[in-house]
Amino acid sequence: MKKVAIIAQTKEGQLSDTSIQLISFLSSFTPESILLVAIGEVKFASLPASKSVDVITLSEGLWADSSSIEPLLKIVDGFTVFGIKSIQVDNLLSLLAASSSQEMISGVQQLTYSAGKFTISKSIFSGKASLTVTSESASYFSLNRNFDFSGNAAYGDQSISSVTTLTNASGSKASILALKPITGAIPLPDAALVVGAGRGLKDPGNWTIVEDLAKALGAATACSKPVSDLNWRPHHEHVGQTGVKISPNLYIACGISGAIQHLAGVNGSRIVVVINNDPEAPFFKHADYGIVGDVNDILPRLTKKLQSH
Amino acid sequence: MKILVCISCVPDTTSKITIDPSTSQISSQGLTFIVGPYDDYALSRAIELKESTGAEVIVLHVGGSESEALIRKCLALGADSAVRVDGNPTTSAQIANAIVSYVNQNPMDLILMGKESIDYNSGIVHGLVAGALGYTHFNPVMHLDIAGYGLKLEVEMDGGKMEVSCPLPAVLGCQEPIAEWKIPSMRGIMTARTKEIVVLPLESIGQIQIVKADIAETARKNKMIKAEDAEQLIDLLRTETNVL
Ligand SMILES: Cc1cc2nc3c(=O)[nH]c(=O)nc-3n(C[C@H](O)[C@H](O)[C@H](O)COP(=O)(O)OP(=O)(O)OC[C@H]3O[C@@H](n4cnc5c(N)ncnc54)[C@H](O)[C@@H]3O)c2cc1C
Ligand SMILES: Nc1ncnc2c1ncn2[C@@H]1O[C@H](COP(=O)(O)O)[C@@H](O)[C@H]1O
Repeated sequence: MKKVAIIAQTKEGQLSDTSIQLISFLSSFTPESILLVAIGEVKFASLPASKSVDVITLSEGLWADSSSIEPLLKIVDGFTVFGIKSIQVDNLLSLLAASSSQEMISGVQQLTYSAGKFTISKSIFSGKASLTVTSESASYFSLNRNFDFSGNAAYGDQSISSVTTLTNASGSKASILALKPITGAIPLPDAALVVGAGRGLKDPGNWTIVEDLAKALGAATACSKPVSDLNWRPHHEHVGQTGVKISPNLYIACGISGAIQHLAGVNGSRIVVVINNDPEAPFFKHADYGIVGDVNDILPRLTKKLQSH
Repeated sequence: MKILVCISCVPDTTSKITIDPSTSQISSQGLTFIVGPYDDYALSRAIELKESTGAEVIVLHVGGSESEALIRKCLALGADSAVRVDGNPTTSAQIANAIVSYVNQNPMDLILMGKESIDYNSGIVHGLVAGALGYTHFNPVMHLDIAGYGLKLEVEMDGGKMEVSCPLPAVLGCQEPIAEWKIPSMRGIMTARTKEIVVLPLESIGQIQIVKADIAETARKNKMIKAEDAEQLIDLLRTETNVL
């Protein structure tokens, strides 16, 4: 790995912690050059690196076809390219990989590199299993958000050698008609703490107890699929097999039975708390902490306790 | 308009995944296979477009003959014909490459896939196919309408959604609520029997080697807290696990 590139999404000019960890992690392979391709603006104070980093920022717009990615493709030619899994990052990595006839591995949980060979553990079956693969040639990698950096965070002096902005002036053939960002709430895939609720809440009007608890924790809210199917909650909040996959530090599941399709979206969580009034609910088998009780009683008490100190 | 729908055939979501100790690979013993749930959304939307615009729908699967019953089910739902690229692909590149070779011989206006397969969960085959063919790519698409000579889409992005218009040809990864899952009709099942499934050979390409598979054991603490002591949870989260 002589040259490594990192594709990272920024938010309000900041890189995510995992993207920063990724830069440090890759620096430990002492490549000759590191290139950061930022989707969105990046404020350089947020960039720790032990080596000098070249930065390319991609302007607003669509990077959704070969004609728009052409200039970027020329720049990353010869690089080994990494990113932390997100919709935009994976879409861009896969387009770049195929446009340059390179192989890509997505869902990387662990990665080592020695003597020109990558050994990778890739999670499969929604985290129920993993696959160990080796490759000497793959050069595009999408790492899971809970990638195992194994404490590798060699933060060093930062130094930026050059910054370039790429615009897709050559033109995407597609055009944006409207952007609908989700405002106010903490985006689910990024959230470190998540409170999820299911059909056990009985009525959309009862969600205030879920929202209050989430607010007291600084957590994002999630729901089970039937809840979004019933339009009690927005579709983008549904986690599981067919919904968002989350891997927060803490997931609190309230009034959710723990169907296998739900677990598929949340079993990457570090600590799982289950609150359910049925002691036989299957979710308890997959919980770190379980409380058999009524959500209407337990949730407000937890909120009160958090608010008191 | 010609629409290609690429389907994965994957173990049912409730399957218990086990390892065959003799090969260190995932065992296929006792697994029931289904068409990937996202691919089912893609197919359902394609069938709706066939009904509303008269599009021709072709289903493609890269995999072994054991998948033919599932391919027949897609034909019973209303697909016009099917292609199976015969083999046992082990990487996304092999699958993408097989799709690209087919499309190079048989140009398509629209290629629909699921946003991800639920076995490998890579979420990249559509991007790889779009990149190789030079088609426009969007993923994951939640609404799809034909507009003039192109498409109008609602696409999820990190932290929101966007509405876009794009020309054909395009490759899209689909997710709900793009369409309702469909059930084959009796008539569909009957006519599917005589529809053609073309079988093509799979080229082996790529250098990624699979070493072994393992079951991920997430050990959970399974500690129960009495309802009357619920507040203790907060203390435990603060002291025992440091997540707060
Ligand atoms: C192909 C496929 C894909 C699927 N994908 C997903 C997916 O992505 N995500 C998903 O979530 N589901 C998915 N499902 C559905 C899944 O199988 C379950 O039906 C669903 O997760 C159940 O949702 P629930 O737990 O909210 O509801 P229920 O199963 O109805 O459970 C409600 C729970 O609330 C408890 N409860 C009731 N009242 C109270 C109270 N007052 N206090 C505390 N607890 C209470 C009950 O004991 C019960 O355990 C999928 C299904 C299929 C077939
Ligand atoms: N073996 C296969 N044959 C045909 N299409 C596939 C196959 N595997 C995956 N796909 C398609 O590619 C999409 C993304 O798969 P993946 O990149 O594996 O997550 C799936 O939802 C399918 O539409």
